[in-house]
Amino acid sequence: MIDFKFADIGEGIHEGKILKWMVKVGDKVKDGDSLFLVETDKVNAEIPSPAKGEIVELMAEEGDIIHVGEVVVKIDDGSGESKPQEASAEKGAEAPKASKEKETEAHKEAVNEGEEKSAGVVGELMVSSEIIEESKENHQNKGEEETRKVLATPVARKLAKDLGIDIHKIKGRGPAGRVMKEDIYRAKEEGKSDENTGKTDDNAEASAPREPKSKTSRPEERVPLSMLRKTIAKNMVLSKSTIPHATAMDEIDVSDLVLFRQEAKEAAGAEGVKLTYMPFIIKALTLTLKEHPVLNGSYDEEREEMVLKKYYNIGIATDTADGLIVPVIKDTDKKGIFQIATEVETLAEAARNKSLTLEDLQGGTFTITNYGAVGAGGGIPVIKHPEVAILGVGKITKKPVVKDGEITIRDMMSITLCIDHRVIDGGDAGRFMNRFREYLSNPMLLILS
Amino acid sequence: MALMNILNTINHTLDQEMERDDTIVVYGEDVGHEGGVFRATVGLQKKYGKERCFDSPLAEAGIVGTAIGMAINGLKPIVEIQFSGFILPAVNQIIGHAARMRNRSRGKYHLPMVIRAPYGGGIRALEHHSESIEAMFAHIPGLKVVIPSTPYDTKGLLLAAIRDPDPVLFLEPKRIYRAFKQEVPEEDYTIPIGKAKIVKEGKDVTVVSYGALMPQVNEAVKELEKEGISVEVIDLRTISPIDKDTIINSVKKTGRFVAVHEAVKSFSVSAELISIVNEGAFLYLEAPPTRITGFDITVPLPRGEHHHMIDSARIVAKVKEVVKF
Amino acid sequence: MLIDKFSPLEGKMLSIMDPEGNIIEKDLMPQLEDEKLLELYKMMLLTKVVDTKALQYQRQGRMLTYAPNRGQEAAQLGSIAATEERDWLVPAFRELGAWLYKGVSLEQIYLYWYGNEEGSKFPENINMLPVAVPIASQINHAAGLAMASRYKKEDAVTMAYVGDGGTSHGEFHEGMNFAAVFDAPLVVIIQNNQYAISVPRHVQTRTKTLAEKAVAYGIPGIQVDGNDIFAVYVAAKEAVERARRGEGPTLIEAVTYRLGPHTTSDDPTIYREDEEVEEWAKKDPILRFKKFLINKELWSVEQDEKEIEAYEELVNNTFKKVENSKEVPLEDIFAYQYETMTPNLVQQLEDYRQYLEGREK
Repeated sequence: MIDFKFADIGEGIHEGKILKWMVKVGDKVKDGDSLFLVETDKVNAEIPSPAKGEIVELMAEEGDIIHVGEVVVKIDDGSGESKPQEASAEKGAEAPKASKEKETEAHKEAVNEGEEKSAGVVGELMVSSEIIEESKENHQNKGEEETRKVLATPVARKLAKDLGIDIHKIKGRGPAGRVMKEDIYRAKEEGKSDENTGKTDDNAEASAPREPKSKTSRPEERVPLSMLRKTIAKNMVLSKSTIPHATAMDEIDVSDLVLFRQEAKEAAGAEGVKLTYMPFIIKALTLTLKEHPVLNGSYDEEREEMVLKKYYNIGIATDTADGLIVPVIKDTDKKGIFQIATEVETLAEAARNKSLTLEDLQGGTFTITNYGAVGAGGGIPVIKHPEVAILGVGKITKKPVVKDGEITIRDMMSITLCIDHRVIDGGDAGRFMNRFREYLSNPMLLILS
Repeated sequence: MALMNILNTINHTLDQEMERDDTIVVYGEDVGHEGGVFRATVGLQKKYGKERCFDSPLAEAGIVGTAIGMAINGLKPIVEIQFSGFILPAVNQIIGHAARMRNRSRGKYHLPMVIRAPYGGGIRALEHHSESIEAMFAHIPGLKVVIPSTPYDTKGLLLAAIRDPDPVLFLEPKRIYRAFKQEVPEEDYTIPIGKAKIVKEGKDVTVVSYGALMPQVNEAVKELEKEGISVEVIDLRTISPIDKDTIINSVKKTGRFVAVHEAVKSFSVSAELISIVNEGAFLYLEAPPTRITGFDITVPLPRGEHHHMIDSARIVAKVKEVVKF
Repeated sequence: MLIDKFSPLEGKMLSIMDPEGNIIEKDLMPQLEDEKLLELYKMMLLTKVVDTKALQYQRQGRMLTYAPNRGQEAAQLGSIAATEERDWLVPAFRELGAWLYKGVSLEQIYLYWYGNEEGSKFPENINMLPVAVPIASQINHAAGLAMASRYKKEDAVTMAYVGDGGTSHGEFHEGMNFAAVFDAPLVVIIQNNQYAISVPRHVQTRTKTLAEKAVAYGIPGIQVDGNDIFAVYVAAKEAVERARRGEGPTLIEAVTYRLGPHTTSDDPTIYREDEEVEEWAKKDPILRFKKFLINKELWSVEQDEKEIEAYEELVNNTFKKVENSKEVPLEDIFAYQYETMTPNLVQQLEDYRQYLEGREK
């Protein structure tokens, strides 16, 4: 009998929703047959049977949320009762041997003749006539200042600290005025709106919590976050709260590239390939990363080690109706422009159709975000933790620029490189950008490399 | 594989290990001819002779004290204290000597011995037959304290205890001695001492218990899960040395903690567990770590004992309180 | 059996040599080689010197609490001399002569009293337990050791020591009873030195002798003059042989006297008269053995003085070594709780080490 448990099918998935059962009780299944379709915060996936057997019991219904580790389906594989597995007794660490290095002189006892003789059978009792402080028992303690302590659980206090919020300034809406996690998130949101309007409330006091300016009720709607949204929120906080971002910006003259693409577009169309600028950017990026390996990797905080990746998987931040998704194009160093173009298109389509597989989302080594695609000229992206850099590209626009001492109209593209300043310095970023510019402004170099 | 209750398993395990290792001797009050008042050692004298399984004089300090001497002189004694309530005369030997011999002889002598003792209440017994005094021994450096809760665990833990080079107090949950059966493999296997078992994973709250209360905990959890509370259940299995990592990692995940034991509350195993949670998972806590335990009272005689015993309803109520905090 | 002639129930005590060194029971005199006699005598002298010196060191503030043996040398050496190397010695804590005879080095003995557990880590070939401070608890260990020897069909005998006060203890009874029930090869020596700290022998029990307690266990018990090394030896020899033949345990009460304090922290003038001590000093076991040896022309006063001088130097040098012994390494106080350190111990050691390192910076 197999108790088939829902496993963590992604990186840190905790729960999922059963969209569809593909088997029913009594069905015979083979190893690998799909059992059910599950929606998680990252992917929708068909979960295959681990063995050949007969479906005995479905432990959840369509629409139910299942958690990692829970038994979802019982399959009779003819092995009898499931039996717990135990490792045999392990030996722990060796007891450290007596260190004989430290040689200190034996402790010499001084003969202490007290005034009274110390009576006892073993040992030496300390004898002294020293007077100790009088007992304060039964004396009233007066005038103790009452200090106001914020009521909050440790986890809430940590959250506030991580978000850089002074918990003393939050009005708690929990039992007995306890500051709940929701209160902290709310305070964070309110703090943000202050920043946006340029107002800062330096005098904000715990006793004067932020209340809506008007008591009259205005039309509002509360929308619970989708699982994807929650994941994005979590990842963004993680990135911004652990990674000290540094930013370098530049503008690249991509006039030659614009011409080149215009010419290549037709040839591509004949091959059935829709050629955007993205494949060129990816190619230029890959070549640059090869020469600047320190940016193609991740940072292992626990061990304080850089993990340098010897492969090039470029994540493309993609805007979808549900939120931001980052599908990954694998081994870009081994692929041509057309092939990359095809994959970019396929993945973008899959993202919009929610048909990305987990495989499509995993294994990225570096991420590009193209806010140009939504019309923005420039921006400052957020690094995808635990990667160490991210490249943002803006819209290509015609601008007057000075070239060879004369003002001419050129096609310009703004780029922004954000780096994890713990492990990468501005110099690295500058050199990286210079090389990237060379590649992107010179399509021939790109093709020939 | 055979279906066995905890008591059958103890007998089976002793038998199997005595056959394997002839340095093992088993003795205690009524242990030989009768096979123990609970019949844990039944048949062993017949099979292995009076040299290896025998009745001792009625003297707990003598039982444990001679076991210490035997262990020093190359044997592996497994002695039975008839009820843990009668272990007190032997405390001089257990705490005063068994726990200290390795250290005070700087490793020349060590004591591969097991002291078995049924513990706990709920069996409508006479006075001194219902106590849970595991914390007293867990407090003592040099001792190991193990409490199984299932037949499978009983075999693996008892074998580990017998083969352990240090003295192990093996407390048996007598209320569930015959309460249920489980498939117990015929083959030799050990369960590491010092490792707790995650009986069930969950994400909302961690519930830790051991021994005779595990069935109540499991029953409570079924109830809680129906109401959508996901409970991570941990069976401590070893009281000392305690498995801190499993507890801490679990609470880091769930943020909430409830310990459950039959022993009285103050200065108990749950007090240690809560300290571990505070030291190791403080910043993850969503609610104060807490416990359901016996009251700080002498275990009542049968007519009043039900007040003191913990049922699944109390566990359900406490867990809900913690989750709603 | 000796008990046939010297039954404690009839108020008889075995005595072979009187305080003047004369042999009064010639028939019972053990056939010991001259060499053996001298070996035993010298070891008694060494015991005396070690003991006297330890007391001095303690008074100089160089030694911690120490339990002196002065006056009990014959009870200790007479009994242990009846055992073989493979036999087990289970001490209480006042058996210096027996320990030295068993082969424990003086350095190690001093190291223990100096406050270092290494002093109780006896060499592999020495079958001796560390001292047992909880009174009479060791009798159960001794019974267990002896039961194990019997189980293993080895002919090793266990010799255990206890004081007069210890016979009042429940564990004395339990251990004697276990040993008797299971015919364990055990010899228990009661060093009846008349006091349990300050409490005199007659407050411990209503029985006239301690030896007669053996009756309750169904085993032989005999009272001997504990300051007469020959009496102690003869009784112990018979008991050891019986035990080795598988005939079970024996209880021997060696009547002696502690000439010094209970420990270096004790003041015996509170509970006993000087006259009493002087009376017992006349029965000094070393004095009478010396007289016997001089009478036999095996020894001389000059030799005696020279020997004592040599021992004093040896003891002084040994103690200096102990004083210069290494401090107990931090790891050692954690390392021997279990075979392998528990996660708690590992962490506590590590945390403390880090604290110390932080403090040094």
